[in-house]
Amino acid sequence: MKPEWRKYLAARAPRYTSYPSALHFDSSVSREDYADRLSAVELYEPLSLYVHVPFCKKLCWYCGCNMRVENDYSRALRYVSALAKEISLVGGRLAGAGRPRSVHFGGGTPNYLLVDEIADILQAIELEFGLTDDARLAIELDPRLIRDDDINRLADLGFERMSLGVQDFDHEVQLAINRVQSFDMIESAVGEMRRAGVNDISFDLLYGLPKQTLGAFKESLEKTLALAPDRVAVFGYAHLPSALPRQRLIDSESLPGADLRVDLAELADEMLIAAGYRRIGFDHYAKPDNPLAVADREGRLRRNFQGFTDDLAVTTLGFGASAISSVNGLHVQNEKSLTGYYDDIAAGRLPVARGIELTATEIAIAGVIQDLLCKGSANIAPVLAAVAPGEAVEICARLDMLEADGLISWGGNIVLIEAEARPLSRCVAMALDPYEFPHKSKPSVSLARAI
Amino acid sequence: MAEKACTAPTRPQSCDLCAVREHSICADLGPREFAQVEKTMARRHVDRGKAIMAEGEPNDSLYVVVDGSFRLSKILEDGRRQVTGFLFPGDFAGVRATGSNAYTAEALEQSTVCFFPHKFLEDVAADAPGVKDRLIARGQTEYHKAQDHIVLLGKKTAEERVISFIYLVDRAVGADAGPGKRRVPLPMPRQDIADYLGLRLETLSRTLTALKRDGRLYDLTRHEVIIAAGPDRI
Repeated sequence: MKPEWRKYLAARAPRYTSYPSALHFDSSVSREDYADRLSAVELYEPLSLYVHVPFCKKLCWYCGCNMRVENDYSRALRYVSALAKEISLVGGRLAGAGRPRSVHFGGGTPNYLLVDEIADILQAIELEFGLTDDARLAIELDPRLIRDDDINRLADLGFERMSLGVQDFDHEVQLAINRVQSFDMIESAVGEMRRAGVNDISFDLLYGLPKQTLGAFKESLEKTLALAPDRVAVFGYAHLPSALPRQRLIDSESLPGADLRVDLAELADEMLIAAGYRRIGFDHYAKPDNPLAVADREGRLRRNFQGFTDDLAVTTLGFGASAISSVNGLHVQNEKSLTGYYDDIAAGRLPVARGIELTATEIAIAGVIQDLLCKGSANIAPVLAAVAPGEAVEICARLDMLEADGLISWGGNIVLIEAEARPLSRCVAMALDPYEFPHKSKPSVSLARAI
Repeated sequence: MAEKACTAPTRPQSCDLCAVREHSICADLGPREFAQVEKTMARRHVDRGKAIMAEGEPNDSLYVVVDGSFRLSKILEDGRRQVTGFLFPGDFAGVRATGSNAYTAEALEQSTVCFFPHKFLEDVAADAPGVKDRLIARGQTEYHKAQDHIVLLGKKTAEERVISFIYLVDRAVGADAGPGKRRVPLPMPRQDIADYLGLRLETLSRTLTALKRDGRLYDLTRHEVIIAAGPDRI
């Protein structure tokens, strides 16, 4: 990384899995607003569904998700029955409109649930929204919880994309984050998936974890390549102990510094590219024939709450505690606490806690940020036309600074992020984001580092 | 993209023998109009898998299904195909002339259609105002199909959806099959039915099998189902 770019590394940047991000949601949006938008969904409007499973067997100390350690399976059953009710509440509003094109199970740990429960949730979706054989089903799996025959049964249910939380293969690092899982365990999970005909296997890796070294991370990447996943996501660990108390269990002294973080990210990038993977957005890699790579090549890559995706559905419906939905310019988030979630469901209410209704300006900004992150370039004219003249001047000034540092170049109104600067895409996006400027006097404690 | 049918149109000797005449567009025509229809309309055979209308392509004719059946489908924004309905004898397609069809209509079997250029229909309308409205109000058009579909998709059990679908086909092309029985042809592949009903193929098969096992369907083969006659009979 160029030395003049180092100053951007300390920047705290939103992940922009939505714009505006969930940090800016508030209670001005009501469940009635969400219900109205659902009623206006069109007959065959493509829907992307997300199901959140907030349970885990063990606490991973790095985790930033909404989850709880749960040892009583009857509590999970209660949750599944609440999910079915929520699906039915939303289905009642849609009244046959909308068609799910993908269903993503995330967490927490989706495979904390037994396959029977996952099948029940899918069935509820099928009956309420319609679910056809061409819908794409994806699930995140904790390799430590995969039981005999789980993979085969999930494949039989139609899951064709399975994502494993690998994080790092190094035992010392695993101890430091309280997530110990052997290479053999991952290898056997991958083997089962391949034998079951799953041809879209994804690994999540994390850099910036405690105890990580270049040498050991290189070995982790070699092990990753040996198992040949179809996609690899390489995320930077966001250490935000003041916002996420569980992260205080991690010894801050053992975290890699800013320079090492960059070196780790660059090592992953070099090794994956050398192995033939295609770089997707700023933190994903995919084999050239993988649907994500094809979408990227054809300019169809999008970013949704799950990260970079080839899913073209703009309407996203989230189910479960803390799940986020986006329907026609309205983002809403469900109750985060299980108690709040259950109370709403028991009362027959959509469990919406907060949200944001996008203004025309925000819709323009969201579109440009989407292009910057997914395509590495964007025509910013719609944003300059939508914001106040004074703000447009400030945006241009910020972009000029990025240009002076060589992160971007201009072609008319098109901002092009230099290939080498793609990992800093979020810093470029931030230049267009009024939420990050002007009231930004000190780095936010709830945002992750840019790298 | 569906292959366009290109069988040379044949002009009927007479429309007198037309099986669908009593519930087709022609039933509303007076003798003078009817004489013109005979001169101007054409009948065309359409092979299985061939399209009479292809999505995105222009269309300048109104089609009436005389024999056989068609699948209506469209490609959604995300590139996937959506089965939006089925046409049976007496149903219409291409109610308005357009530079770009909103859907594709493909023959599910060897079928026959009559087609009327919209230009001709307008000429007839000049002489006999309201002909076009009368025909649209009378038959099942693509707009009715969309209504049928949303009603089906709004049903909350697989069984209800499947039964409603069988009734829907029965109303269109069902026939008596002995005392108290109706024969309902299912010319479309099971996968098309499943896609149309918003069900996975396995769910559709399981539901059909259960209905058969419980004696609620008298018989079930690949291309037809035998049910009881009368209301609420499944």
